[in-house]
This record gives sequence, structure tokens and C-alpha cells, in this order.
Amino acid sequence: MARNTSVMKSPLTEGYSSSRQGSRLWKRILSHYQLYLLLLPCIVFFIIFSYIPMAGLVLAFKEYQFNKGIFGSPWIGLTYFEMFFQDPQSLKLIQNTLVISGMKVFLAMPFPILLAIMFNEVRNSKLRNIFQGIVYLPHFFSWVIVVGMMQRILAPDTGLVNQVIEWFGGDGSKFFLMEESAFHPIMFWSYVWKDIGWNSIIYYAAIVGINPALYEAAKIDGANKWRQMWHITLPGIRSTIIVLFILSLGNILSAGFDQIYLLKTPGNMNVSEILDTYIIYMGLESGQFGFGTAIGMMQGIVGLILVLTVNKVAKKWFQSSLW
Amino acid sequence: MIGGTVMKKTTVSLGATFGRLMTALNYGLIILLCLSIILPTLNILALSLNVGSDAAKGGIYLWPRIFTLDNFKEVFKQSNIVNAFFISIFRTVLGTLLSVILTAMAAYALKSKTMPGQKQLTFFVFFTMLFSGGLIPYYILLKELHLTNSIWVYIIPALYSVWNMMIMRSFFDQTPEGLEEAARIDGCSDLGIFFRIILPTSKPVIATISLFNAVGHWNDWFTGSFYVRDQGMKPLSTVLQEMLTKQQALTDTLMSSTGAIQMQMLDKIQVTGTSLKMATIIIVVTPIVIVYPFLQKYFAKGVMIGSMKE
Repeated sequence: MARNTSVMKSPLTEGYSSSRQGSRLWKRILSHYQLYLLLLPCIVFFIIFSYIPMAGLVLAFKEYQFNKGIFGSPWIGLTYFEMFFQDPQSLKLIQNTLVISGMKVFLAMPFPILLAIMFNEVRNSKLRNIFQGIVYLPHFFSWVIVVGMMQRILAPDTGLVNQVIEWFGGDGSKFFLMEESAFHPIMFWSYVWKDIGWNSIIYYAAIVGINPALYEAAKIDGANKWRQMWHITLPGIRSTIIVLFILSLGNILSAGFDQIYLLKTPGNMNVSEILDTYIIYMGLESGQFGFGTAIGMMQGIVGLILVLTVNKVAKKWFQSSLW
Repeated sequence: MIGGTVMKKTTVSLGATFGRLMTALNYGLIILLCLSIILPTLNILALSLNVGSDAAKGGIYLWPRIFTLDNFKEVFKQSNIVNAFFISIFRTVLGTLLSVILTAMAAYALKSKTMPGQKQLTFFVFFTMLFSGGLIPYYILLKELHLTNSIWVYIIPALYSVWNMMIMRSFFDQTPEGLEEAARIDGCSDLGIFFRIILPTSKPVIATISLFNAVGHWNDWFTGSFYVRDQGMKPLSTVLQEMLTKQQALTDTLMSSTGAIQMQMLDKIQVTGTSLKMATIIIVVTPIVIVYPFLQKYFAKGVMIGSMKE
């Protein structure tokens, strides 16, 4: 009952002193104590596993010493950042990261949208369910499995792809995973292949949600399929596209660790070494914690700024945003 | 007049042919995509069921040439793989159970519109999706908490996921207000409503999130690879990942000058590294493929509901 006090606000009680209002707030908090109880472990969890590591970012400005811990270690200012930007290899890392994530964010984006539109054109719902079931499946395979399969299928001589090439009279001895020139196509198409179905779900839901009367009206006006797609379907899912696009921008400096780490070979290092794999290598494997933290921090901040900016722009121009 | 009708007829039939062509193209492309998923998987299955030394000669496509179960027997003879299998099951079952119930509890609390601080608390949780401290501070934290090299590193840091929480919250938001109100008038507390009304009416989203969680646990190789040193504590996915990396080292040496001799050696052994690897991939994939059809009807719905903005 106590939770209704705010609803019963009458002109008489409105001018009361702040202490009275404070006690009312206190009452409302008390009346919800069970909800706070449900939420408590969650808040504690995020303080420990998300916010404390954020505080740990000070490590980017310190020389980490195991016996002194994060807060006891001496300050060294911007040394790591200078180190990073003076190393010519860093430019290569940033370039590799941006090329890979750029391909994933921009080039791969139309595929799931297209697939959703294609699914919508399959009128037989039983058949569509089967198709969708198959196409969603690779999303549930981890990159370990997918790369394991690719290692075999793309293997020289005995791999499926090379055997087919040989069958057509080509050179079937190519070691694709070791070749620098094959890295980008392999990375891109395996990424599209793995998540095209999954990412199409949301678009498909948005398309199904479009008012059918719009299509009817368009048909009467003589609009063909293409025009319907262009003038009804695409505008109908515009806000979905924008929201997903904003979210994906946050990852522009992390090109998808699992896939790249597992696809990285001595042969394609030159294009496959990205910031994330470098952090693992420098931080975890070589123990340069401060340096690794500094690179991670730059990634995080750039991602955050991008998401906030694009969100603002999208809100202004398209009236769609994350919040 | 007559010419006009003829003209119109031809354009209509042309349009119809075009439409049929487009439908055929549509089906064709979708089937092609499905084949690109089914055929490689069958190829791996065939390789895992073929005698390893024979498969090394090539020519295996969609079914085994010399059928054998030796590869699977050999995998299960390796004590570390059997052990890893049980670790994977342990973390998948316990991790999923704990995570789903805790996430549902938090999602329900955050859905309340009357709770003071609801907006701030939601932002507090949501913000962790936009920004994080990065890998190294996180690793140091796990070390300080003595979670590295412990079996709990698989369970505790994975208890909550913001994304899953948002999906659940949107779903809970759709429970009819009247249902909750009626229960409240009957003297039901918030906890009572959660357990007696929200949970029982939210089976699709619970199933969806459980599936996401379970698959996430089953597939996670990163934690075992970088936060756990003890070989006896690594889950199946990590073991497979280490096999792949080692396998690559092996093929590297095969590529070098001693290649010919190594190839001859491979011919003598029936079970090869590759055939073991194929069998392990099939073992990792099988539980997912088995559970998948039962949950498929739920998860598409779950994702759709989660994606709708209030």
C-alpha cells in the first residue's frame, strides 16, 4: 500500500517540507526492499567485475610491480602511450585492426538484412523454419570449432577446397591459412557465414512487424517488388539497422578476438596481428601489464566516444538511438 | 484498343515470369547458403569416422571410405579429454543454472517503475556494456581474488550478462499489468510475484537465455586458455583449441624438409592427429546439435522480443 503514496499526492501535501519528502522517499525505498534484495548480488557483481577493473586503468600510468600491487606501484606518466605511438609497428596494428573491423562493420552489414528480406519472401512457413534453423546453427559453433573445420577444409592437397580445385584442373596445393593474401577473404567470409543467419533474426522480426496495409496500398499504386522493398521494407527496419550499427561501432577497435587469434598463423601475421592479440601477447604472455592496460584503455575510450557520438547523431538525424 | 490489351497482357505475363524467376533465385540462394553449412559439417563427420591414415591420402568427401570408430575410442582413451569433458559439463550445468536465476532476479527488479533509483541502477548496469577496464586489469583482479587456476573462474565471473538481462527485462515488461496487480491485492509480495507469476509465464525467454548461457559455457575456451594453468582444470573447448594450435605446429614441421619421412611415419599409424582432431570437433559439436532443435522454436521468439524497444 505504501507504494501508492506518490500517486495520492494532493495539493495539500505538495508544499510540505523537504524532511517530510525525505521520509516519504525512505518509505518508498523500504516498501521495495525485496526488489533491492533481488538486485543486490547483481550490483555487487558489477562493482567487482566491471567497475574495479575500470579503476585498475590507472595501471596504464604506472609501472606494475607484483609485490606492490596496482596502487602501490610507482607512477610513470604517459610513458606507455609514448612507447606505443613511437613504435612503427603500432601503426600497422591499428591499420590491421581497422581494416578487419571495418570489413565486419560496413561490408558485412548488408548480408543479414538481405537474408531477412529473402526469408520474408519464402511463403511456405514450414520450409522457412527449416531454412532458418539451418542458417542459425553456425552461430552456436564456437570459433574454435569453425577454425578447426576450416583448417581441415582449407588444408593443402587433402582439404575439401583444394580437392575441388584439383578436380577442375587447378593447383590444389595451396596452404590458404598460411597465405597473407588469403587471410582477408577467409576472415570475412567465415565471419559472414557464421553470423549471417543469427544477425538476420532481428531484421526479420522488424520486417514481419511492418504493417501489411502499407504493402497493399503500394500494390494498388502499382509499385513492384523492388519499389516496395525500397520504399516500405527498408524504411520500416531503418531504426533497427541504425541501433545495431551504433552498437557494432563500439567494437571498431576490437576486431573480434576469438576468430583472429585462431586464424593467425606465421604466414599471415603481417595482416592478422591486431590490438587485441597484441594485448594478449604483450600483457599476458610477456607480463607487460602496464603497457597492455594502456593499449586496452585507448581501445575502450575510442569505442565509448564513437558510440556516444554516433548515438547523438542518429538521435538528431533519424530519431533512433540506443537510449 | 486491341493492341493495348495485348501489350498489357504481355507485360503482365512478363512480370509474372520475372517474379517466378526471382522466387527461384531466392530459393536457390538460400539453399546454397544451407548447403555451405551442411556440406563442410558432413565432411568433418566423414573424416572423423574414417581410418586416419587412409584419410591422409585425401579423397574423403561426404561419407567415410574405410569406416571406423577408432578415432572416437582413442579420444576417450585420453584421460585429459575425458576429464575436460566433465569439467565442461560441470560448468555448463551449474553456470547456466546460477546465471539464469540471478539474471532473471535482477531483470525483474530493474523492470519495476516505482522503485526509487531504478533509472540510475539500470544505467549503472548498462554502462558496463559500453566501457570496460580491459583485459589486463580484469586479469589482475581475477588473480587478486584467487580465481585464476580455480574451477570457479568458469562460473563466478560469468554469472551476469547485461545483454541477457536486457532481453529478460523486455520480456517481463510484457506480462499483463493486471496479473501483477491482482496478485498484489491478494497480498502477494514482490518476491511472491516473481516466483509465482513472472517465472512461470516467462518460459520462452528462460529457455532462450538458458540456451545462450549453456552454449556460451560449453564453447568458452578463452578462460581456460588464459586464466587457468593446471592442465587438469581445462574444459573441452580449451583442449580442442590447444590441439588445433599444436596441430598447426605439426603441419609446420611437415611442411619443412623432413616432410617426406614424417608422411611415411603417418602412414604406419592408423589414428592420426588430424583424425583425432576431427573426432574431438564432432564431440564438441554434438551436444549443441542435439539440444538445438528443441530450443529453436523458443530462441527466435526470445531474440525478437528482446530486440523490441519499449
